[in-house]
Amino acid sequence: MTATLENAPAKGETVLRLRGVSKNFGAVSALTDIELEVKAGEVVALVGDNGAGKSTLVKVLAGVHQPSAGTIEFCGRQVTLDSPAKALDLGIATVFQDLALCENLDVVANLFLGHELSPWALDEVAMEVRAWTLLRELAARIPSVREPIASLSGGQRQTVAIARSLLLDPRLIMLDEPTAALGVAQTAEVLNLIERVRDRGLGVIIISHNMEDVRAVADRIVVLRLGKNNGVFTPDSSNQELVSAITGATDNSVSRRAERKSGHAQESHGGAA
Amino acid sequence: MSQNPSQPMLDRSDERVRHDDSLAAMAKGFIDRVRSGDLGMLPVAVGLVVISIVFSALNPVFLAPNNLVNLLFDCATVGVISLGIVCVLVLGEIDLSVGSMSGLSSAMVGVLWVNMGLPVAVGILAALVAGAAVGLLYAALYNRLGMPSFVATLAGLLALLGLQLYILGPTGSINLPYASVLVRFGQILIMPDWLSYVLALLPGLAMVGRGLRTRSQRLAANLSAQPMRALILKAVVLTAVLEAAMFYLNLGRGLPWMFALFVALAVLLNYALTRTQWGRSMFAVGGNKEAARRSGINVRRIYTSAFVLCSTLAALGGVLSAARLASSSQQAGTGDVNLNAIAAAVIGGTSLFGGRGSAYSALLGIIVIQAISNGLTLLNLSSSLRYMITGGVLAIAVIVDSLARRSRVSHGRA
Ligand SMILES: Nc1ncnc2c1ncn2[C@@H]1O[C@H](COP(=O)(O)OP(=O)(O)OP(=O)(O)O)[C@@H](O)[C@H]1O
Ligand SMILES: [Mg+2]
Repeated sequence: MTATLENAPAKGETVLRLRGVSKNFGAVSALTDIELEVKAGEVVALVGDNGAGKSTLVKVLAGVHQPSAGTIEFCGRQVTLDSPAKALDLGIATVFQDLALCENLDVVANLFLGHELSPWALDEVAMEVRAWTLLRELAARIPSVREPIASLSGGQRQTVAIARSLLLDPRLIMLDEPTAALGVAQTAEVLNLIERVRDRGLGVIIISHNMEDVRAVADRIVVLRLGKNNGVFTPDSSNQELVSAITGATDNSVSRRAERKSGHAQESHGGAA
Repeated sequence: MSQNPSQPMLDRSDERVRHDDSLAAMAKGFIDRVRSGDLGMLPVAVGLVVISIVFSALNPVFLAPNNLVNLLFDCATVGVISLGIVCVLVLGEIDLSVGSMSGLSSAMVGVLWVNMGLPVAVGILAALVAGAAVGLLYAALYNRLGMPSFVATLAGLLALLGLQLYILGPTGSINLPYASVLVRFGQILIMPDWLSYVLALLPGLAMVGRGLRTRSQRLAANLSAQPMRALILKAVVLTAVLEAAMFYLNLGRGLPWMFALFVALAVLLNYALTRTQWGRSMFAVGGNKEAARRSGINVRRIYTSAFVLCSTLAALGGVLSAARLASSSQQAGTGDVNLNAIAAAVIGGTSLFGGRGSAYSALLGIIVIQAISNGLTLLNLSSSLRYMITGGVLAIAVIVDSLARRSRVSHGRA
């Protein structure tokens, strides 16, 4: 990876702490009294059903939405994240679920958007070299960095969005479903990457619906349900436990389906015997 | 240089991409781009050829050197306004009040300079400041109140026209002194022949110079570089065309200083749009405002810069047109000025949908527009017909833009 982080907090130090963060959209309370802590060199997975408020929480931390209540502490200081620029300056990088790329610009321009090298006479060559280096680390399959984003596939765009989050040497990276569109090799590469940035002492928040990926990299699993905290788990907790925390009931469609499957299997076994 | 075969160039490792290195392949690449809706300067080139053939057939005076010199004088006034339109169009916004703004600024110059006896520089400066202030107002309405620029500037169109009529007072027209530098600049001042030939060399030289520098930088960084042959060919053709144009103009009066000012502004704006962070941010905001905001771009400041630039350039265009007509009148900035400025940018290839465009589109587009208008005037057509035809041309330009955009979307070039 690139430059070493002098400003990175020591391992184990708290990078981010949320206290009582709430967010209302009109009558909808998307988030209520969220508590969350991320330490340096730690991967926290944020899981929950569709509409649980995961992306909203990420957007609050990225400065896209303003929280309705609560405090955010970053590296020990209380901060107000009133714009995306502020969050980026502090060292909070985000891969948004909807990617947020400019389709009319090429890959290099998107990677460096807002942080171009030499603002008064853009250094295209240096930016292109840096772009290739970053993309190569992600095992990206991108034919040309001079084509507009509009011509890329969903997974290629996702890779570009991930690469962009690494560009500014952040202290905290938030990835909102980063592997949703990725191929096998690219997913593995992203998981490797998450481990690498964790080892460099960054805090990582990853959102995913894929429990296998979550277990593979997360140090802690935080469950959100209907915009509220619903338990913190370790990667070795059982699937049953996680699913019931996510769906809010031991008797849920996931476990019913699992039972039905195993029941079927036994029946057919019985029939054959 | 690390061009050993075992280690391919950074940007040449994917075998799916065709690399257009030979001249034939480059031509093929160009055709592909046009097919996919990336028309570039093609409509302008086609338009100019058609216009020249039609109008010179109808009236041979059209292509006479001195008529072309007059054409360039006319291009400069509306062209400067069109440069500002490019800025707002790149953001996907519009300014419908540029005509009124130019009229107001021409009236301000007349009133402050001739009626009140202040130095001409004060009049010009005041007009430009007024332009900037109007732009700031539009930006505030857009940023703070979320008022669509279409509505705000439509209101501005009427309000500014009213202000223009108000300050001109009952007489309605002020003649500017013919002997003054301003009027001479707008009507008479022509570059010496030798200077026009020298200046016509610059674009080609700059092209080759920049090409060589980029090439050595890219090769040093293990990136592929364009072959020099194609670049030199382009530069030679460009230089030949420009020198021929200068020769032809110099058969008449020559190259107007006012047109040179317009070209200089276009070059400046082109640099700002393509080679600075501001320009990159402009295209980003025009392409996807929310993505730009999330990248840390101060979107409001970008909108403000574009609206201010547009209104200020409109004011400058007004000053130039006052100089051209040697008067500040109630008619200044009315009629087809607005639409010509917008049509020029669109014909030149700046999209009404935002995120695409170039400063040179104003330069080339205005030549097309003024050529049509000039040709129609030579045919002694009344302004009623002229308006209808110009309206039709704008409609065609917008249709081409829409179709090209649809094609780009389906070819992944949005
Ligand atoms: N801009 C907005 N305006 C109004 N309501 C919103 C907005 N953004 C999100 N919401 C609401 O907030 C709730 C949480 O949405 P959010 O996008 O955070 O869910 P999520 O956990 O990311 O779900 P998914 O797994 O589907 O991505 C939803 O009920 C959604 O309708
Ligand atoms: Mg989400």
